[in-house]
Amino acid sequence: MALIHFLKPKNKLEEGGRSAALVHQDEGEPEKNCPNCHKDIPLSRLWANHMVCACGYHFRMKARQRLHMIADKNSFHELYSDICSLDPLRFPGYQDKLETVRSVSNENEAVLCGTASIGRQHCCIFIMEPYFMMGSMGAAVGEKITALFEYAARQRMPVIGFTVSGGARMQEGLLSLMQMAKTSAAVKRHSDAGLLYIAVLTDPTTGGVTASFAMEADIILAEPEATVGFAGKRVIEQTTKKALPKGFQKAESVLEHGFIDEIVPRSSQKKLLAELLRIHGGTS
Amino acid sequence: MFSKILIANRGEIAVRIIRACKEMGVATVAVYSEADKDALHVALADQSYCIGGPEAADSYLNENQIISAAVLACAQAIHPGYGFLSENAHFARLCQKHGIVFIGPDPDSMERLSDKALLKELVKHTGLSVIPGTKAVSSPEAAKKAADHLGYPVMLKACAGGGGRGIRLIQSREEVEDAYLQATAEAVSAFGDGSVYIEKYIFPARHVELQILADEAGNVVCLGDRDCSLQRRNQKLLEETPSPAVSVKQRQNIIKDAIEATKQLGYVGAGTLEFLLDRDGRFWFMEMNVRLQVEHCVTEMLTGVDLVKWQIRIAAGISLSFAQEDIPLTGTAIECRINAGSCGTLEMLHVPGGPSVRFDTYLIEGTSVSPYYDSLLGKLIVYAKTREEALRKIRAALCELVIRGIPTNLEEQLRIVGDERFTSGSYDLTFMGNR
Repeated sequence: MALIHFLKPKNKLEEGGRSAALVHQDEGEPEKNCPNCHKDIPLSRLWANHMVCACGYHFRMKARQRLHMIADKNSFHELYSDICSLDPLRFPGYQDKLETVRSVSNENEAVLCGTASIGRQHCCIFIMEPYFMMGSMGAAVGEKITALFEYAARQRMPVIGFTVSGGARMQEGLLSLMQMAKTSAAVKRHSDAGLLYIAVLTDPTTGGVTASFAMEADIILAEPEATVGFAGKRVIEQTTKKALPKGFQKAESVLEHGFIDEIVPRSSQKKLLAELLRIHGGTS
Repeated sequence: MFSKILIANRGEIAVRIIRACKEMGVATVAVYSEADKDALHVALADQSYCIGGPEAADSYLNENQIISAAVLACAQAIHPGYGFLSENAHFARLCQKHGIVFIGPDPDSMERLSDKALLKELVKHTGLSVIPGTKAVSSPEAAKKAADHLGYPVMLKACAGGGGRGIRLIQSREEVEDAYLQATAEAVSAFGDGSVYIEKYIFPARHVELQILADEAGNVVCLGDRDCSLQRRNQKLLEETPSPAVSVKQRQNIIKDAIEATKQLGYVGAGTLEFLLDRDGRFWFMEMNVRLQVEHCVTEMLTGVDLVKWQIRIAAGISLSFAQEDIPLTGTAIECRINAGSCGTLEMLHVPGGPSVRFDTYLIEGTSVSPYYDSLLGKLIVYAKTREEALRKIRAALCELVIRGIPTNLEEQLRIVGDERFTSGSYDLTFMGNR
């Protein structure tokens, strides 16, 4: 007897309460080791410092935590939360992987879209989620970003985008790759309407995302030490059979080569973004 | 809220829990034995893992396999349903150790409340009346002495008991030794703990229980009573709420006392306080079930409160959003348990419908009933504004229910709901006699 295939209801997760077991006090506070200074940092201190170590190392940050850091309190209004990946190619294990990452990241997709205020400057915002298949771009991510740019163009609003991605989502094959063209077209229409788009590249921004909307912004900012590139370092080395220079594909080196406008640590991102929005929005 | 829950159970209760999760937007992980690979709960869940062979000990009681599945699937919580691991403090502790929330009371209070003799001592101080009895008795001689003191007839019960196992009625001194040896042997094989205690036999009596919901903030709400007196060999067959034997005043008083007792016990979660109601209208506390009951649905139909959802919310630290005065206890809900008479494969199923008729089942066409698990196929539940209307509705619904291919107790249920003792509401635990 074959299992019946039931449709899945798209009910939003009920709000409130804890999403995990309580940590018992006698177990001590969990710590994270900094790969730069090798010190153990209590998680609570790391969270309070927006996931930045005292040595300046920027840890990866969950999309909603970043939103909390950047957007004015209670200003975020989420858009397109119901758009999420299907399994169009019936790629082996993809459904299970999606279920697992959805529960780990508490997100339905690898990008969070909506409108918000940053320093009282209203804008559209998208933030990619590193804990959702490393922010890989499938059809749903492409659709959400495209829809956001179209919404911004209609509403005549600027777009702020935080990128983090391993590239196109291989489980969706060609459908993933075509998102590069689709998002780029949406960015172009938004740009042609004379509207501002600022991208903040965070670690890592690579592959199809770099080759499309991440590098198409009017102003491109990056976080310190973020990896920014297209193909991976090892792939290039193996293909060219040449050793790559130190700091290759680091934001600092990409800045030096003129692809990035400024490197901005997390502590000053909100102020700078608000300032840029204010200048370009013509409001004081 | 948890975004993914593993359901460590099978059958109708696994289906019931998955449905609640779907409404809450929570992803579900089913576990199943080799005998259940085509089961409805597996098809309904978002993910599923086979955890062992058909014997319950290899699968649904296999703690390590279930924890492994939960870790692998990144489930944040486990709902144990009823039976299997639902009252197993060791399993609850194992969940805690692996950072998984066990949807139920914490292991410490589970341990405290699962020893029935100890629980009676605790409850004595909360104001509820406790059936006179002993702590655990260590030998047939000690049992004889205690029984002599209480006066015959007495009941011999397993301290870790449940589901009617490890229980013996003793009418005279001569029966004590045999009953002691039988009950301890049964308790060892069923619960792994052979200790037994003795209590006065309340006769005639009704089995009336109170449904409790208690949150971490200390709020306790009682969702009314259920009359579960229709039992065969201590196995419930039919339940109704409210009990026709309890007056409004009696109900108000016992609810007040039960809430107070639950607060004093510091209990958190969904729980049931079980009582014997004697001929004089006195409630004698028997035991507390620290889990969801099979018959929870009658309470849901009467009050409109989804007990499974609230179990999950309470486990996530959410406080109750209603108070005692918000709980409607008007009308009557009746549940008939539809059990399989033997193994078989379902050829055809027709489920009755209409307003306030509910059939909780795991049956779909082609489902095979195996000998490995309990015989419950489903629960037919109705609700109506009056008891008379509910009786009419349950009779009509039972007649409309068709389960072809598996022998069931449908006709017996029809006889019960047509019996004058049942329709008049004047039945007690002797109703089924030796049938």
